[in-house]
Amino acid sequence: MSLLTNSKTLIIGLASAAISIQAHGTVSQEQWRDLNMSIVNGHILPAYQALSESSTALEENTLSLCKDPQTATLDAAKTQFRATLSAWQGAQHITFGPIELLMRSYSIQFWPDKKNLTSKQLNKILQAEDPGSLSEKAFQTASIAVKGLPAMERILFAENALELIQTNPFRCQFLHAVSDYVKLQSRNTYNEWNAFKDEFAHLESEEGLYETAQEASIDLMKAQIEPLEVIRDLKILRPLAKSTAKPRRLESWRSNHSLQNMQLNIQSLHHMYSGVAGANLKALLEEQGAIDLAQGIEEQFVGLEKILNDIPTPLHQHIKDVSVREKLLLVSEGIELLGKSFAQAMKLLDVQLGFNSRDGD
Amino acid sequence: MGINRRQFSLLLAGSLIAPKLLAKQGSPLIASAAKNSSGQYELTIVDSGGNEYWRHPLTARAHHVEQHPTEPLLAVVGRRPETFIDIVDYQHKSLHTRILSQNGRHFYGHAIFSPDGRYLISTENAVEEGTGLIVIRDKQQNYSVVAEHPSGGIGPHELKSMPDGETLVVANGGIQTHPAQGRKKLNLDTMKPSLAYINARSGEIVEQVYMPEELHQLSIRHIDINGTGRVAIALQYQGEPYENPPLVAFHSQGKALELVRAPEPVNSAMKQYCGSVRFDSSGEVVAISSPRGNLITFWRQDKGAYLSKVTSRDGCGVAKTDRPGEFLISSGRGHCYRFNLHTQKKQKVPLQLSSSVAWDNHLNSFY
Repeated sequence: MSLLTNSKTLIIGLASAAISIQAHGTVSQEQWRDLNMSIVNGHILPAYQALSESSTALEENTLSLCKDPQTATLDAAKTQFRATLSAWQGAQHITFGPIELLMRSYSIQFWPDKKNLTSKQLNKILQAEDPGSLSEKAFQTASIAVKGLPAMERILFAENALELIQTNPFRCQFLHAVSDYVKLQSRNTYNEWNAFKDEFAHLESEEGLYETAQEASIDLMKAQIEPLEVIRDLKILRPLAKSTAKPRRLESWRSNHSLQNMQLNIQSLHHMYSGVAGANLKALLEEQGAIDLAQGIEEQFVGLEKILNDIPTPLHQHIKDVSVREKLLLVSEGIELLGKSFAQAMKLLDVQLGFNSRDGD
Repeated sequence: MGINRRQFSLLLAGSLIAPKLLAKQGSPLIASAAKNSSGQYELTIVDSGGNEYWRHPLTARAHHVEQHPTEPLLAVVGRRPETFIDIVDYQHKSLHTRILSQNGRHFYGHAIFSPDGRYLISTENAVEEGTGLIVIRDKQQNYSVVAEHPSGGIGPHELKSMPDGETLVVANGGIQTHPAQGRKKLNLDTMKPSLAYINARSGEIVEQVYMPEELHQLSIRHIDINGTGRVAIALQYQGEPYENPPLVAFHSQGKALELVRAPEPVNSAMKQYCGSVRFDSSGEVVAISSPRGNLITFWRQDKGAYLSKVTSRDGCGVAKTDRPGEFLISSGRGHCYRFNLHTQKKQKVPLQLSSSVAWDNHLNSFY
């Protein structure tokens, strides 16, 4: 309890420190360009590269599992699944660019799944045992709910997963087909980003996506800020529900990864903010004279990471504990305050994240 | 797409007119609701040279700006759930009348003048009843209410006058809101959007078409109409974020609703949301904005066929020019562009404003 009080003091204290900032500056297009390039090269590309590499390894693991379904091959596939899920959590906040193409993002991870469509559609496919459903072509028209990580998680982390795979090889063949699809989508996203990054480098082209470096940075700033609300609403408040927590509303509860997901999300956003070598948002705020605000955001990230580290895992087995609920609510509050600090930062940098696109009628 | 463009060129060949040279310097070019750099809401009018023509501060955020057919008046309509319409005289640059909605009512951001200019007709919410209304005010009686009719549904939004001058076509968005709960959507499970044709004199609903049941969360929000009474519809989806419904529709009275979709990957890139729709000066082509997807799509009205698209960051306002196939586009980033579908060229209209603005949802051009 005293830890909780301390954490609370930490979060509230930091927020009020941040609010007292009064500074205003102008950022040059060169500064925006430097920031964009360093975030793209130092944060986005590595995140997608990690996803591409881990999903490639996962595809090999699932293939080995299907060839020789034993405890060792299953465990290896599970471990690599968690590594791929982790890489995805580190890239989940980048919601623009190649990941948007044909709703790729939803096909890699269909979640939240309010109607349990993944289980329903997956069971249908597994019962039908139609070899045609394994082809790349079949995946183009398959339900978006069965193409990605949640479908794999259901097969790999089923209670008697090994037995089911041993007695029904089709189950593993479909697992492998999904893994292959995730690999392909991840690899394509990474490769396309290697071309898409030119949009941030060459702004003078008339056909380009962005007119100025500042405009290009808006998409990056949205990726920095908007996911906070998603973490709070979908990963914390929705599973907590009004009074009795609903563990199965947690993301990745089957693979015991719910808490790690949030930790990875916050870490990745933190890295994007201040961990990128060269130009980063924290340094830019400091250059503009908003030293306290820049430091305040940094400490808010550290504070959130600290509280998350104090929560017992696997979260779905502890989410009904009163103390865990309190800590999660504290994280939710901290995320909201961090969002407010970022809003202040955007105002200071004269960045409008969107008008008609965010609040149209 | 190549085929579409060629078809479009053929389509235009018969109707191309000599482009007007520069419009008279100093005459108004565009008017729109906007948010300025200090966070205040205003009506902003820019002249043909891109210069500031007049900026009129508003008490709250507005949505659509309607031009009077014969006099230099504009109606600037408060956005849901606001309760004001400013009637301004843009020649004298002054507020003419501020209309307030009656007790228990609010505006939905859209109003039109009757074709003779005498009446101002708005969509409104009867708050406690939760029903949509069409309210008619007489300009000659200082905009006092002379009639009101049910709109035929919940959440009426944009409305237009049919070529007969007597029938109104109204987009009933279907979404219930209550000012006590801000802009929160209260009935997403039961919403039933429709397009209603209403006789302005009698209030009789002469025809009404509904979304098919499986697409009942596809809100009919913004419409435009051409000289033949063809209605182009821009839709907004309230269903699950991973779904990919059609986002454009056309309708001709007496016929079925024609839902159309852009070829992939464009339809999914429109991100379930269209913000504004306008016909060009020929009435053959429509522009439909998708600000969440940062793009504007263009469609042939007769077959409802997709023609092409252009990127516009946070672009939402669209308006015709005097050239067939040409549109003006405004964006939340404060830019204004001229896009010609025939040449596929997008040109920035250089704006000389004393301070920047974010252009709001709809754009009105003085063509």
